[in-house]
Amino acid sequence: MKDKLSALMDGELDDKSAAELIEALGRDGEAVRAWRTYQLISDAMRESRLLSAGFTARVAERLAKEPTVLAPRAHVPGFQTESRRWYALSAAASLAAVALVGWMAFAPPQQVAPTPVAQVQTEIKPNIVPLPTAANDYLLAHQGFSPRVSLQGMAPYVRTVSEQAVEPRQ
Amino acid sequence: MTLKQVLLAGLCALGPAVVQAQSAETLGWLRKMHDATQKLSYTGTFVYQNGGRSETSRITRYVDASGDIEKLEVMDGMPREIVRTKDTVRCYLPGSRLVKVDRRTERGFPALLPERITALARHYEISLGETRRIAGYDCQAVVLTPRDNLRYGYRLYADVNSGMLLQAVTLDAAGEPVEQFTFTQLAIGGVTRDMVRSRHASRSWRVEEALAAPAHLAGWGLSSELPGFHKIVELKRRLGESRSAGQVVYSDGLAAVSVFIESLEGRSDPVRTGLASMGAIHIYTREVANHMVTVVGEAPAASVQRIADAVEYRRPQ
Repeated sequence: MKDKLSALMDGELDDKSAAELIEALGRDGEAVRAWRTYQLISDAMRESRLLSAGFTARVAERLAKEPTVLAPRAHVPGFQTESRRWYALSAAASLAAVALVGWMAFAPPQQVAPTPVAQVQTEIKPNIVPLPTAANDYLLAHQGFSPRVSLQGMAPYVRTVSEQAVEPRQ
Repeated sequence: MTLKQVLLAGLCALGPAVVQAQSAETLGWLRKMHDATQKLSYTGTFVYQNGGRSETSRITRYVDASGDIEKLEVMDGMPREIVRTKDTVRCYLPGSRLVKVDRRTERGFPALLPERITALARHYEISLGETRRIAGYDCQAVVLTPRDNLRYGYRLYADVNSGMLLQAVTLDAAGEPVEQFTFTQLAIGGVTRDMVRSRHASRSWRVEEALAAPAHLAGWGLSSELPGFHKIVELKRRLGESRSAGQVVYSDGLAAVSVFIESLEGRSDPVRTGLASMGAIHIYTREVANHMVTVVGEAPAASVQRIADAVEYRRPQ
């Protein structure tokens, strides 16, 4: 299985085997986990940007919140009486209400990021320049005033001596 | 009244109570982190990531009755070290055989006091996230979501038992990480005084003393403050070896932005106006009234630029 997964990642499987394997991924939890691990390793090797924690879960959650299009079935006369249908509909409405209350009361406050579209468009793109050669002097002078140090100790100071901030060249 | 109306009425009564109960608990978590940071001795290894880069460092903190000393050693590349005591920060830079010293006349470093933690809720929605195991510790996530796009968001993971911060992720408006600090190993307690001494302490390297003292920078100010960012300190200082500069720091209680003002008198190199970035830190430089203004802060680029653009000089009357 693992050989096949790695062949699939490299695009070395023929269409038929690929389709079979992808179908198997849908059934086999362990295979899916192996697949994710392989992807993570490959991302790490390519130094791709990591997706934020819980990305998959958030996508799934948003998908779940997408409205479901209910296509009504063709009415078959005599199959359902009016009253039964109303009963079913109101039961569905109550369930939805219960679900809504449950969701609103117990879900953590939603963290929908503000859509910065309008702002981004009105702001003029700044001229991008390299870090100043004295970047670490500024960072050192600034860092001590960041209240964050009270929550995190001096870890953020690492920026001050980060290779990026450039040790002053000799 | 239909069932639905009853449920909706119930919801309205329940809603605010739930929100309030949550914020009291979450603020308690921030206090717990704050206390752990002040009280614990520990030593551990953490990874600092921004963009595609990562750098591993070891951090050791020693606390006794006389105060605390912290040491940070970079494990990759040159063995750079920083040692912080109550009023002094020393950076040991072996590449240039140099010790940069940042000394303060006012005592200590600004603390995020409990009442300021409560005030944070004005700019951030603070909630509890998931629990996760990091470096062997069961951690609780505390999520700070900014109420506007002038500041970053944060996910802070604290050890359930001690409150020690094991991971801190800075997030942009789209919820993508711009920078993160993660402990990969941590031992709480068992730290001796020797462990926070720099290995470079006895070398006779060049020393750059940057003394800073509170002062009024006459004529300098902002034409308009960035919402939520208030001036916390104004000082005169030395930068690097010999440059003297003014520094004004603005903060919303968690993020801070510094404005540095340096005279261009006697300088030949032109000011390069523009923005430079390093993880969550942005640096915007421009020229105002024959001075170079450099704004440095852990805030989105647009916020740093807005502060820089608002810097003005008015000749004192």
